[in-house]
Amino acid sequence: MTGQLDAQLQQALADRLLALADDEVILGHRDAEWTGHAPILEEDIAIANLAQDEIGHALIWYQLREDLTGRDPDETVYFRDASAYRNVQMVELPKGDWAFTMLRQYLFDVYERLLLDRLVASTHAPLAEAAAKIRREEIYHYRHTSTWVERLALGTEESHRRMQDGLDRLWPFAAQLFVAGPGDGALAAAGIFPDLSELQQAWEATVRPFLEQAELTIPQAEPLTVGRERHTHWLPILLGEMQVVARVETPETAW
Amino acid sequence: MPDTEWPRYEVFKQDRPNRPHEAVGTVHAPDPEMALLNARDVFVRRPACHSLWVAPQDQVLTMTALEMELNPAWAEETVPEDAPVRTFHVFTRQHQRRTMVAATHVGQIQARTHREALRKALEQGEFTDRPVYLWMIVPADAITGSREEDVESLFRPAEEKHYRDQSYYSGRVFDKKALKRREREVA
Amino acid sequence: MSAFPRTPNTRPLPNVGLPTDPDYEQRLAEFEARIEAGEKIEPGDWMPYEYWRQLVRMISQHAHSEVVGMLPEGAWITRAPSLRRKLILLAKVQDEAGHGQYLYHAVETLGVDRGTLIHQLLEGKAKYSSVFNYPTLTWADVAMIGWLVDGAAIKNQTMLAHCSYGPYSRAMVRICAEETFHYKQGKEAITLYAQGTPRQRRWAQDALDRWWWPALMMFGPHDKDSPNTPALMRWKIKTKSNDTLRQEFVNEIIPELMAVGLEIPDPDLRYDEETGNWLIGPIDWAEFWQVIRGNGLMNQARMAARRQAHEEGQWVREAVEAYARRHQARQAPEKIAA
Repeated sequence: MTGQLDAQLQQALADRLLALADDEVILGHRDAEWTGHAPILEEDIAIANLAQDEIGHALIWYQLREDLTGRDPDETVYFRDASAYRNVQMVELPKGDWAFTMLRQYLFDVYERLLLDRLVASTHAPLAEAAAKIRREEIYHYRHTSTWVERLALGTEESHRRMQDGLDRLWPFAAQLFVAGPGDGALAAAGIFPDLSELQQAWEATVRPFLEQAELTIPQAEPLTVGRERHTHWLPILLGEMQVVARVETPETAW
Repeated sequence: MPDTEWPRYEVFKQDRPNRPHEAVGTVHAPDPEMALLNARDVFVRRPACHSLWVAPQDQVLTMTALEMELNPAWAEETVPEDAPVRTFHVFTRQHQRRTMVAATHVGQIQARTHREALRKALEQGEFTDRPVYLWMIVPADAITGSREEDVESLFRPAEEKHYRDQSYYSGRVFDKKALKRREREVA
Repeated sequence: MSAFPRTPNTRPLPNVGLPTDPDYEQRLAEFEARIEAGEKIEPGDWMPYEYWRQLVRMISQHAHSEVVGMLPEGAWITRAPSLRRKLILLAKVQDEAGHGQYLYHAVETLGVDRGTLIHQLLEGKAKYSSVFNYPTLTWADVAMIGWLVDGAAIKNQTMLAHCSYGPYSRAMVRICAEETFHYKQGKEAITLYAQGTPRQRRWAQDALDRWWWPALMMFGPHDKDSPNTPALMRWKIKTKSNDTLRQEFVNEIIPELMAVGLEIPDPDLRYDEETGNWLIGPIDWAEFWQVIRGNGLMNQARMAARRQAHEEGQWVREAVEAYARRHQARQAPEKIAA
């Protein structure tokens, strides 16, 4: 499988897989923070599902990357500092309120679902197979979070205000999902990974009318277009917590 | 504003095609769509499920045989002449075994009210081949159900969450490399 | 829906019989004959007030325990040392929420709504298992809770699956089927740590030292100090006494803990050849009652966390309900006539 890729494409794919996996593991961490603290018992169960799904997806992407690079998923997660992470800033922001959480999840789920729709046709078979598997869950995520976004945006005055605040905060960050890395052009040309600017158009064509129909106003803010190597100070704080147990032992230690 | 835990919905789960729906419990939800999603998260954390129905709890008539016996007036009601005939799903409990379901779908009945449906079920004898301890009468038009095309996204993913299943834990202890090999096998 | 009446002789549901009812003795005899014959009592069936009261008390405490029980382990989800352990712990804490959900459903069949019960919990008026008022100090505590605390819980729940009240029994059957995973994952992890690095071994022993006695207290006071037991057993709400279950548990778990090289923190522990029982030293019941009365290490923090979640969730619950009212108003099917 990997033999079909030249060294340059292989590196580009490994980088992209790291970006996919890091997004999911950090978002999964933020979702997991709600477990036991959700607005109602049924949502404790639902949000724990989202967190498990995202972390499960991260594991799949890390494993595909391991096939290319030999890097162990746990070592990648637990023994890397913030500067080596390649997630977007949107997922590392603190969990906020339920409006912020559902909106962030929605913006991410639309991106992920549209991405997976394209990835199932990837010329790189392992990627296409993994995408098909993950996509089933993402169809559910999209249904769950769009249901929530619509209800909170059109619920009460307070919930609407909280949703608008959340959108004002998140909207500029969402643009970073579509910032191409150095190898992404070559991946798109080889049909391995979709073109990110086309993906962004599809994303906007989905989220804009949906949010507007939910009576939310899309903010006119400067989009975040920095690369994925740039982080907020929230990431090292998050990693400090996430890695605290694993780092008392060597990466070889079994847990 | 008074606090709320949201209304309750009865949940009926069908494990496999061609198996009856079974009453598994309730979820709290603000509306039917969220009730369906909540039912999925609460009752389908593990396989298997092929279909879920949810119905507002206050639109489901639940009655026991003993309750009917001690209060024969249960059957009395005035049904308006022009009340429309509706379809009611009938669920019964006909055993005393230890199970995790309250009642099982046995069929449907055309009637104008819940109580009329139950009266007809008793008169016709179609569902009373064995003693019935518990009845649930659910109007078809109160049910929100998952669709055939939801099976992949709502129910199949639980099949891959092996770590939720006790059989995943073999009792053996693995070092990191052995564990990694095993994880890939399981996946 | 009715609140939880605290005053005896207030009929909570039409099917609940009071000792002052003219037909009480006859109904009670029929009721006890049904239980004796192994029949399940279903919602709507005649039941004596005391049976109803004991069920509401027991099931609601059990439900609260599951919900509060999310907190000690939930605190470690973000710190789980591998992705696999993180997934396992998430699934486990998720199950606890699910088990609380099933159990609240069982109480709801007795005419007491969940909002009332949660209100009582948050006001500090409801009990829950004292074991969750202890802190989780290292990662190994999470594994030890799985093996020891869930192991003890399974003993109790397996017994309660035989309960005469249908909805409680069904909730227990569902819970037992899921809970075995909790126990097994904990045992797997502790077995690994007990043979692992020096720190892992230290953590495993330390976790056993701190959780051993609280786990044994989970079975409740000795039979002679348990006033509810005779009624509970006569009506088959419980089918085994606290001391019987505790003895079964220690007999099963002590050899397993010893087999992985852990030391039981009980200087008086001895094996009785004649009966085949492991005999434990005295339990510190003063500590047990202190924790029950709210003076455990974590009582206040647990309730503060639950209250905060509830209060911060209020606008959410209201918002989606407001949305539902507006969007469903157009096609609300008729409700059943009472």
